[in-house]
Amino acid sequence: MKRAVDVLKRLWVCALFVCVVLSAGPQASERAALQAYVTNQGSETVSVVDLGTLRVTATVAVPGKPAGIAVDARTDKAFVTAPDASDVVVLETKTNTVVKRIKTGGGPVGIAVHPRTGLVYVADWYASRLSVVDPDAGTVVADIGVGQSPSGVVITPGGAFVLTADRDSDAVSIIDATTSQRIASVAVGLRPFGISLGLDGTRAYTANVGSDDVSVIDLASQRVVATVKVGRRPYAVALTPTLGFVTDQYGGTVTVFDVATNQPVKTIPVGDHPEGIAFDEATNAVYVACWFDNELVRIDVATLSVAARISVGDGPRAFGAFLK
Amino acid sequence: MFKTTLTALAFMMTLPLTASAHGPSRQKVVQSVEINAPADKVWAVIGNFQDMSWHPAIAKTEGTGGNVGGAKRTLTLTSGGTIEESLTGYDADKKGYSYEITTVDVKTLPVNNYSSSVRVTGDGAKSTLEWKGAFYRGFVNNDPPPELNDEAAVKAVSGVYAAGLAALKAKLEAGG
Repeated sequence: MKRAVDVLKRLWVCALFVCVVLSAGPQASERAALQAYVTNQGSETVSVVDLGTLRVTATVAVPGKPAGIAVDARTDKAFVTAPDASDVVVLETKTNTVVKRIKTGGGPVGIAVHPRTGLVYVADWYASRLSVVDPDAGTVVADIGVGQSPSGVVITPGGAFVLTADRDSDAVSIIDATTSQRIASVAVGLRPFGISLGLDGTRAYTANVGSDDVSVIDLASQRVVATVKVGRRPYAVALTPTLGFVTDQYGGTVTVFDVATNQPVKTIPVGDHPEGIAFDEATNAVYVACWFDNELVRIDVATLSVAARISVGDGPRAFGAFLK
Repeated sequence: MFKTTLTALAFMMTLPLTASAHGPSRQKVVQSVEINAPADKVWAVIGNFQDMSWHPAIAKTEGTGGNVGGAKRTLTLTSGGTIEESLTGYDADKKGYSYEITTVDVKTLPVNNYSSSVRVTGDGAKSTLEWKGAFYRGFVNNDPPPELNDEAAVKAVSGVYAAGLAALKAKLEAGG
């Protein structure tokens, strides 16, 4: 395994080198298109951060205390939950403008876009339901019963299953996307909030706020196969091919674990209240929104250290797939 | 300002005010004060988690566990309510600690899931004390009554911090 990791690391270094070479050439503008969309709950904005230059290139007003986000590169849209307005806000990412607000009711938090149908799945914190939104029609087309206070939402790569972290049920719902029926509820640790999939889509990871750990779910057998101890009040998980990165809100750290052994590898101090977290393969970096510090922090995956800090709006949460 | 004058709605009593339920928008308050006293002197006054007598709203501090992570304290307010807190981190070298509220009635302080930290940084004969808090409003669902909304929570915590920092500055600069 160690050897495999070394080989991967070498490949990444090569990939980085290629990126550096490319960015110096005529394709620079294409490379620079990679962006982070950071929801700032306090300032009620979305900061658009260019991950090449590490600069904020746009700030979009999104009233309603934006929290969750799902960037859909396929349609050049970003779907943002605004829990205080009970809305899903649709951003056009080419122009960085709000093009639509869709009323869902309740307290929308986690959100995900289906890779085939383009339907948008929205967790309602205040009810035990997952709403299915047709973004073109601008309406809720179905409500699916899940556990209590669903928060994070994720969809398997082929689009077969939708998963919700049902925080106050201490469980994860597995929903058949074709029938819109819940087919399983998997007991996990206490108060799961964020949920993410491994890159091959066979395992899901929940950040359990109440038990300070991560549950690793095998989707084929629909059961927890491992539990990883992390820092205090974990919020969300990001996966690389070999590592998991977990934001520890109260710890002010990111806990890194090996996905093969499910053992912690390192704890990285990042800032006050780290929350939304995502892995970007192109820059081989993990990006973390630090809610109290109002920063987007870049962690270099090769060195497992903080490589950059970018000031964003007030109270960044970036809960969901916030990279484009 | 520690104690809010609200009449709790009857149905509020039936809601579980546990750490697991809150609205989705967390609030923050940061305040700092510059004190004409070296950091060691400031830390000597605030560094004991078991003694919050430097704050004018606190009548009594009772607790267990000293200044070790996991230590508990119960603050009795001059206005009569109590707040139970737990120490979550303590660093004497950095002159700072973090703690959270484990139990409080929203009539005493209209917040949920409150966590906080204090830190002293020195610059010769001067120092700066920073007090940070993260918390949710007192009402756990949508459409809060005004006395339990985000603004009420921020106002209450801001008042606590302002009163504490002002009193500490006065005490230390008077040679206390």
